[in-house]
Amino acid sequence: MLFFSYFKDLVGREVTVELKNDLAIRGTLHSVDQYLNIKLENTRVVDQENYPHMLSVRNCFIRGSVVRYVQLPPEGVDVELLHDATRREARGG
Amino acid sequence: MGSTEEESAVKEPLDLIRLSLDERIYVKLRHDRELRGKLHAYDQHLNMILGDVEETITTVEIDDETYEEIVRTTKRMVPFLFVRGDGVILVSPPLRTA
Amino acid sequence: MSGTGERGSATTKTPADFLKSIRGRPVVVKLNSGVDYRGILACLDGYMNIAMEQTEEYVNGQLKNKYGDAFIRGNNVLYISTSKRTLADGA
Repeated sequence: MLFFSYFKDLVGREVTVELKNDLAIRGTLHSVDQYLNIKLENTRVVDQENYPHMLSVRNCFIRGSVVRYVQLPPEGVDVELLHDATRREARGG
Repeated sequence: MGSTEEESAVKEPLDLIRLSLDERIYVKLRHDRELRGKLHAYDQHLNMILGDVEETITTVEIDDETYEEIVRTTKRMVPFLFVRGDGVILVSPPLRTA
Repeated sequence: MSGTGERGSATTKTPADFLKSIRGRPVVVKLNSGVDYRGILACLDGYMNIAMEQTEEYVNGQLKNKYGDAFIRGNNVLYISTSKRTLADGA
C-alpha cells in the first residue's frame, strides 16, 4: 500500500516512466491503482527519433507490471515521510 | 514447556533491507543493470525509492572480425527513482562490496 | 538422501525441515540465470528470499564479486545447496 499511497499523492506531477522494453514516456501522472497501473497525460516519448510511431500518443494507460522505473520529481519526494511510511509498512507486514 | 519464544530472535531476510534504510545500497537488477543509491523507501515486493542513483548498464557486443567480446558499461545519474521490485535480483549494502 | 521420509530419523525429512536446518551453514545458491552465490546462509523466508553473509558471486565459474551482506529475491532462486567448502576460519 505504501507505493500506491505515494503515487496517489504524486498525481498531477510530471514523471518519466521507463518500461521494461526500454521505452521511456514522460507525462503528467493522471491516476494510479493498487497494482501501480499508471495513467499519464500530455505524454511524450523521451527518445522520439527511435520511437516515431509514438509521436501522436498524448495520453496512455501503462500496466504496472511492464514498468521498470519511474523517475520522480525531487519536489515530490519527502524523505522523512517515506522513511516513516516504510517503517510502518515493515511492522505491519 | 521447552518451547522458547523465538520471536524476538527470528531474523528474516527483509531485515537486511530494513537495516539499510537511509543508507546507500547496491541493487543488482535483471538484464545487466545495477543501481547504487540511498534507500528511502521499500515494501515487501522490493519496490523501492532510491535517491542520488547511479545506474550502470552492461552490454556485451561481439566484434564482427575478431569475435572478441567487447564489454561496455554506460552510466547515468537520476535524482530520485522508483524501482519496481520484480526486476530485483540482489540487494547489498555497498560499502562492504569488495 | 533415503527414499522414504519415515526412515532415518536423524536426517531431515521435508524441504522446510531442510531449509530450517541449514541456517548458519555454508551454501551455494544457484539462480535461474545460472549465476552462483557462495556464502553463509543467514536466514530465509517462505518466498525463498535469502540473506547471506560473506557472499561470493560466480558467473560461469569465475569469481565476479564479493558482498559482505546480500539479500537475494526469492523468485530468482533455482536451488539452495549446502557446500562442503570451508570458508576462511575465524571471525
